[in-house]
Amino acid sequence: MIFYNALGQLPEFLQRKRPRFALEDFSARRSFNCAVLLLVLFATLVSSNVCLASTQIGKDIYQKRCSWCHGANGNGDGPAAAYLNPGPRDLTSGVFKWKSTPFDEPMPTDQDLRASIAGHKPATGTLAGLNGTSMPGWSDVLSDDEITSVIDYIKELGGLDPPALPSIELSGMTNPTDAEKARAKELFKDRCSECHGAEGRGDGTKRLKDDWGGRTWPRDLTKPWTFRAGSGVEAIYTRITVGIPGTQMPSFADTRSKKALTEAERWAVADYVASLANADTMPVAGAVARAARIETETPAMPDDPAWSKAAGAAFYLTPQLIADERLFTPTIDSIVVKALYNERDFFMLIEWHDRTKSLPGDSLAASLADGQVYPDGVAVQFPSALPDEDNATLPPFGMGGKEANGAVDIWFWQAQAKPGNNETLRILQASGPQKIKDMDTNASGVTAIGNYDKGVWRVVFKRPLKTQTDGMQFNGRRFITFSLAAWDGSNAERGSKHTLTPWLWMSMTGPPNKSIYFWPAAIGILSFAIIWLIFRNTVRRG
Amino acid sequence: MRLIKYVFLLAVVFAALKVPGVLFAKPLPVSMLQMFFFFSAVVILLAMTATDEGAAGLVQPVISLFIDPSYTISRAVVIIIIPLIAAWITFAAVCDEAAAPPIVRSLHPSPPSAFTAYGRTIEMAGLANPYRAIEKTDEAAFRGLVLEGGKLYFKNCFFCHGAKLDGAGHFSQGLTPLPLPFKGTDTIAQLQESYVFWRIVKGGPGLPHEATPWLSAMPAWEKMMTEDEVWKTTLFIYDYTDNRSRSWAR
Ligand code: HEC
Ligand code: HEC
Ligand code: HEC
Repeated sequence: MIFYNALGQLPEFLQRKRPRFALEDFSARRSFNCAVLLLVLFATLVSSNVCLASTQIGKDIYQKRCSWCHGANGNGDGPAAAYLNPGPRDLTSGVFKWKSTPFDEPMPTDQDLRASIAGHKPATGTLAGLNGTSMPGWSDVLSDDEITSVIDYIKELGGLDPPALPSIELSGMTNPTDAEKARAKELFKDRCSECHGAEGRGDGTKRLKDDWGGRTWPRDLTKPWTFRAGSGVEAIYTRITVGIPGTQMPSFADTRSKKALTEAERWAVADYVASLANADTMPVAGAVARAARIETETPAMPDDPAWSKAAGAAFYLTPQLIADERLFTPTIDSIVVKALYNERDFFMLIEWHDRTKSLPGDSLAASLADGQVYPDGVAVQFPSALPDEDNATLPPFGMGGKEANGAVDIWFWQAQAKPGNNETLRILQASGPQKIKDMDTNASGVTAIGNYDKGVWRVVFKRPLKTQTDGMQFNGRRFITFSLAAWDGSNAERGSKHTLTPWLWMSMTGPPNKSIYFWPAAIGILSFAIIWLIFRNTVRRG
Repeated sequence: MRLIKYVFLLAVVFAALKVPGVLFAKPLPVSMLQMFFFFSAVVILLAMTATDEGAAGLVQPVISLFIDPSYTISRAVVIIIIPLIAAWITFAAVCDEAAAPPIVRSLHPSPPSAFTAYGRTIEMAGLANPYRAIEKTDEAAFRGLVLEGGKLYFKNCFFCHGAKLDGAGHFSQGLTPLPLPFKGTDTIAQLQESYVFWRIVKGGPGLPHEATPWLSAMPAWEKMMTEDEVWKTTLFIYDYTDNRSRSWAR
């Protein structure tokens, strides 16, 4: 039809094939022309209308779902923004962190935006968004078409053009040789460790902020489940190659920089980063800590070899959001517990990643901290009287309560409060956050020793199984109830501003004791008796 | 009649099982009790149908298994194997250290008839959202209140209850019990607005004894939000999820 319009008549090959369309009559041709014109006009109108409708739908969805964080006008200043780190993206800035286009192409692809908005479903678990942030995945409430509409609206908000350059190429992935692996380790030390730390735990020596003025903490690369945009080698390669726009994490493909890496080097470093993953620190729902029986050792030091053999259990740390003063932007997210006991003593190793050793009065600590530096710390809480087996009498988990059985014992360890000072240990008994009593530390028999090394705190608590003081006693029970709290003093955490866990359980596995055969035997004999009874009955009647 | 006899027998056995727990402080784990009752139920079922004429055909194989001479070996196998399996399952349960002891907790306990908050006693009966009336009379003003409620929700609640009101806030994972969702028809859709008000104002610490142990991380908001703010937040959580509160009328 377009052909026909342009030439005034159908091209020859069409005429020959379809003589029916050969319009000889001039006026017929005119009216046909008009009809075509009208049709084109109509189509344009409809399609522009669809366009309008799409951004209108997108805007409505945005206002209902997204504006609370990203702001009514997309400025990243919604009511929730003050409580978040990282803050919600300013969608009018045109800067996107999680994109696949090269560093010299500011625009993300539609697919990049879709991946950020839709979220992803991990192998186990439910739909996730940008991991480790408040940005959820939306594909469970928004259809593909609705997400397209929101993307259209976001592009309008940020004045985004389609990217001029395509996404980076991922076809160069190779399996690095041993020599390349060793080299990748060197490259990581040289290029990445100033921010990500020698072992990748995010314990760098640089204070970082993003383009929007927010404090940024470099990723702990040993915790891949906190990577925002995927933890596969390809995703890591993409980050190294593209950089993370809006943050100080640069592109290592930018040949103008002295730190640039070749494509092969970037693949090798990505592979190295993937190898840093440490599943031991990853919390698993329903995990139970274990206290294993040892014979002679007394592993009172955090680096005692007995600890490397002991099984650990990892738990989420949640900021204290229950009572003022609350914590909204924690820097530590998980904690690992190991426990051992011998005939006389109980030992508990508590281990967590903290990017900063918060030593008040120390210049490096001051240069990294967010505000004033307070000492780091950790606390273990036990019900003063271990509850009965069905746990109906557990004290309230936030420092106990007034009711009978509501009291809790707390072992509160704090790192040095000044260079040259000692670590401190306080033993507290509480029946509610307002009713805290300092106990005699010496009489309690509890001791604690802490050690900070390359982004990890390790603190060992030791106590005799039985003590003369009142309060919690290990009395041969299989499940010990406990909970934990931790403070990162470089994140202005002190007092009630800290992270914590709910009540957790630790099973004390002793040497095999006879009671574990008791119930199996009883049940076996019982079922035999019942079946035998029925058998006799049937035989008699039959 | 026979059923009663069986139930009585069960009770005796149950008591026998409880004795060690009471006398020697070696209580029977709940999971094992469940299993015991499951097996007993199956056995009773078998015995009952075996004597019933109508069910005779159904249980014929079982009966013949017990009395037919040609089944002697299978009979012996069944009589020995089933108890062994039961014993093995029990053993596995006893040795399973990975599972935390189960805790039974009431999710929606009945509310008190009155509670104290904001310096006075609030009666549950007759407690209603003062802003509900505006919904029909002044649409624009009502939308304004919902918006205010939304802002309050996104300053106070979304960490736990989620930006999608699905209970999956970014700090929810570390909590036991998990924060409850508001979307869907299982929670606030089943509740009175006054109940929701009470839950928000008194939080986990204000739950009655029936809902113990006190494990809930739900804060008591009376100290951090005004009454007005709680009612507005309530408007929002119903509005966002397209839920209606349950009323006595329905
Ligand atoms: C609970 C708060 C919250 C809500 C609600 C929310 N977001 Fe986000 N969003 C965030 C945060 C926080 C980030 C920044 C994450 C980061 O820095 O890695 C973000 C980042 C983004 C990004 C940027 C990704 C990039 O590459 O930089 C986009 C796009 C986005 N959100 C879209 C949406 C859309 C669309 C919705 C609604 C359907 C929405 N968000 C709802 C908190 C939220
Ligand atoms: C100047 C500091 C800096 C340097 C150097 C740096 N990074 Fe980063 N990196 C960051 C920051 C900050 C973030 C977190 C950004 C955010 O989420 O806002 C980050 C995040 C990451 C992430 C997480 C991506 C995700 O999806 O969450 C990876 C992987 C990473 N960096 C790898 C590297 C590697 C490999 C190198 C060296 C080749 C490197 N970084 C060098 C600062 C840096
Ligand atoms: C620290 C996390 C946390 C915060 C913050 C929080 N909640 Fe909760 N909330 C919970 C948990 C956990 C439960 C489930 C346990 C229970 O019933 O107490 C819950 C339960 C509830 C219930 C009971 C639902 C039902 O079906 O019975 C309501 C209503 C509620 N929250 C409203 C709110 C409101 C409104 C806010 C903000 C003002 C809020 N919550 C803030 C953790 C939280």
